[in-house]
Amino acid sequence: MKLRKLTALFMTAAMALSLAACGAAPAATGTADAAPAAEAEAPASDDGGAAPAGSFSVDAITVNIWDNNQLAGLQEIADEWTATSGVKVNIDVIDWNNYWTLLEAGASGGEMPDVFWMHSNTAQMYMENDLILNLDDFIANDPNMDLGNYYEGIVELYNSDGHQYAIPKDHDTIALLYNQAIFDKYGVDTPTDDWTWEDVYEAAKAITEAGKADGVYGYAINTSNNQDGWYNIVYDYGAQVVTDDHKDTTIDSEEGKAGMEMMRKILTVAAPQDIVAETGTDSLFQSNLVGMITQGSWMINSFYTAESHDDYKWAMLPYADVNGNGSCDAGERWSCYNGLGWAAAADVEDPAACYSLIAHFCSKDMQVKQAELGVTMAGFKGVSEEFSNAFEGMDVSAFDRVEAEGSLYFRPYTRNTTVWEDAIGQTGAFLDAWQNPEDVELMATSCDNAAKIIRDAIANE
Amino acid sequence: MKKKKSPAQKKEALWGLAFVAPTMIGLTVLNFYPVFSTIWQSLCKTGDFGKGNTFIGLKNFQKLFADAEVWQSLWNTIKYAIIEVPFSIAIALMLAVFLNRKMRGRSIYRTIFFIPMVCAPAAVAMVWRWLYNQQFGLINNLFHVSVAWISDPKIAWISIGVIGVWSIIGYNMVLFLAGLQEIPRDFYEAAQIDGATGLQQFWNITVPLLSPTTFFIVQTRVIGALTVFDLMFMVMDKMNVALPKVQSIVYLFYQYSFTNGNKGMGAAVVMILVVFIMIVTILLQQVEKRFVYHN
Repeated sequence: MKLRKLTALFMTAAMALSLAACGAAPAATGTADAAPAAEAEAPASDDGGAAPAGSFSVDAITVNIWDNNQLAGLQEIADEWTATSGVKVNIDVIDWNNYWTLLEAGASGGEMPDVFWMHSNTAQMYMENDLILNLDDFIANDPNMDLGNYYEGIVELYNSDGHQYAIPKDHDTIALLYNQAIFDKYGVDTPTDDWTWEDVYEAAKAITEAGKADGVYGYAINTSNNQDGWYNIVYDYGAQVVTDDHKDTTIDSEEGKAGMEMMRKILTVAAPQDIVAETGTDSLFQSNLVGMITQGSWMINSFYTAESHDDYKWAMLPYADVNGNGSCDAGERWSCYNGLGWAAAADVEDPAACYSLIAHFCSKDMQVKQAELGVTMAGFKGVSEEFSNAFEGMDVSAFDRVEAEGSLYFRPYTRNTTVWEDAIGQTGAFLDAWQNPEDVELMATSCDNAAKIIRDAIANE
Repeated sequence: MKKKKSPAQKKEALWGLAFVAPTMIGLTVLNFYPVFSTIWQSLCKTGDFGKGNTFIGLKNFQKLFADAEVWQSLWNTIKYAIIEVPFSIAIALMLAVFLNRKMRGRSIYRTIFFIPMVCAPAAVAMVWRWLYNQQFGLINNLFHVSVAWISDPKIAWISIGVIGVWSIIGYNMVLFLAGLQEIPRDFYEAAQIDGATGLQQFWNITVPLLSPTTFFIVQTRVIGALTVFDLMFMVMDKMNVALPKVQSIVYLFYQYSFTNGNKGMGAAVVMILVVFIMIVTILLQQVEKRFVYHN
């Protein structure tokens, strides 16, 4: 009898406990400023902050990223840290769309991953709400960490009210990707560094007309190819998708409309939007059905490992000869650049361990290694060459050259970028123009609509 | 007059409470709290990460009612239900009747038809996405046509509906099979002696006696169809031109709540859906009184 009672009591207690555990995740936010200085002074070793084994209070750190292409390389770098720190690093890949849904749910419920990537689209919102660990004290106490070594735009992006919340992981630029075999087959000259967008149009036209029977198109771009696509044309023609103060846009200006008019012209000889939406520009290109696309440096690996990678060549992004003098002058060739940041959740169990891992990822040696492994271009300045050499047999120096010969602008962002970023690519904005590229007026109207969407979104932030 | 409880009764009542507590706590935490929280959020301009909500009354609803996209999405959802519910029920009923006879390979057929139900909805959607693909899709290549199954606004909603029907047939069929086995064989024997044909038996015995099962399926499927989300989300690209004509009301909710981070508007969208489902359910209950034959 007594035993039965005891068992019943035990079981009820167990049930109550398990229920309590579900709701027990404390919303420990707002404590970022109070990062204990004592912990921050964890002895730093040569490679940038990795402490000797056994000095951390956790056994494992969870890391969330969204790019499967980078997993192997990053795991290798993380394992080196594990070897000195004794803390295991588990990297989970979650695709881009779900990554943000999950991170936001985690932030609201107090269950964020320990260390994760931050992006310009949402960084401001996370920093303002103190959901990411304030790294100020750790950086100040780490003799190996000098933020001056990293790309300024990225450092600044992850800085809010003078506090640093993330350290640059990488940076990326854009280049033109073309399929040599398609150009050869239809007898069209291949892209060079001197090409303007007009040249792209002419080549795309020639390929699309000659390739009709084979279902081959000269060019492919969707409205969602913004950072790696039409944004760059807008900047080439002298407009800005988001102005420098992040409070306005000039996409509906004369210059912006001139840029999008160029885009429209190319669209008339590009793959139709419905095909691009169903199959995707990358899949079309890798099926050898498209002559040219523009792509970001973070995607190189996917093309490097593709079946017909021998035919794939990179050229510098074309420019817009706005002043008509026949050569590329300052401010006529723009490439978008962006950089991810390594950040940690504000409520992690062991902030020192998380910082140590972040510092390891961002240390010069590991940034070089990241470039050598071909994971991405470094966030650390001056190691671009290693990246250019990472892909044996494929010349990817175009991504580096555009930095030296062209101008870079940071990926347009506002406080809540996603609200307008998707909307301007959908019905009611540029998707209309993409559907009917022959209609000149429609593209101009789309520019006006897009500008209104961006301004309304900023007003609501 | 109050009766005083004996210690044993008290103890029993206490234990009773202890044992229903897990369920009650679970319901409160997982169902009741979210329901009221959603109602509250629909009346708020919500802050980031669930902090700093400010009460704004019915402004979210005002904005939604003035937005053509909301009505379009509601209409899209209804159109989807109009395809999914009748077709999945009619086909499943036919299959169930055929598979209720003694025949070779009966269990194999039953299994085959039930398999879509076992597959992960996301996997199902991905397979169909490639079947429908305009350039490389099996359907277009098999019939040598070039139809934009999921990009043409005129037919995309039907294409999505077809996936819905295909996925749910097996489940409906199993329910019908259970219902069929409840019908006593005597009715059919008597009808046969009186010279009724198979079709007459079907309409005069099977259909009326199966009506409670049919009603149950109609009701659950209507609610299921009105809350559809995964098919549109997985099959159609965000930049698909047909999306505005296909996206369901839950898709819109997802868009507001999770993509745009506007929980208040998302909650308001869901409240509209809840009220709509309530109205439909009340109508269905009226229909039940009139058409369902209870043994």
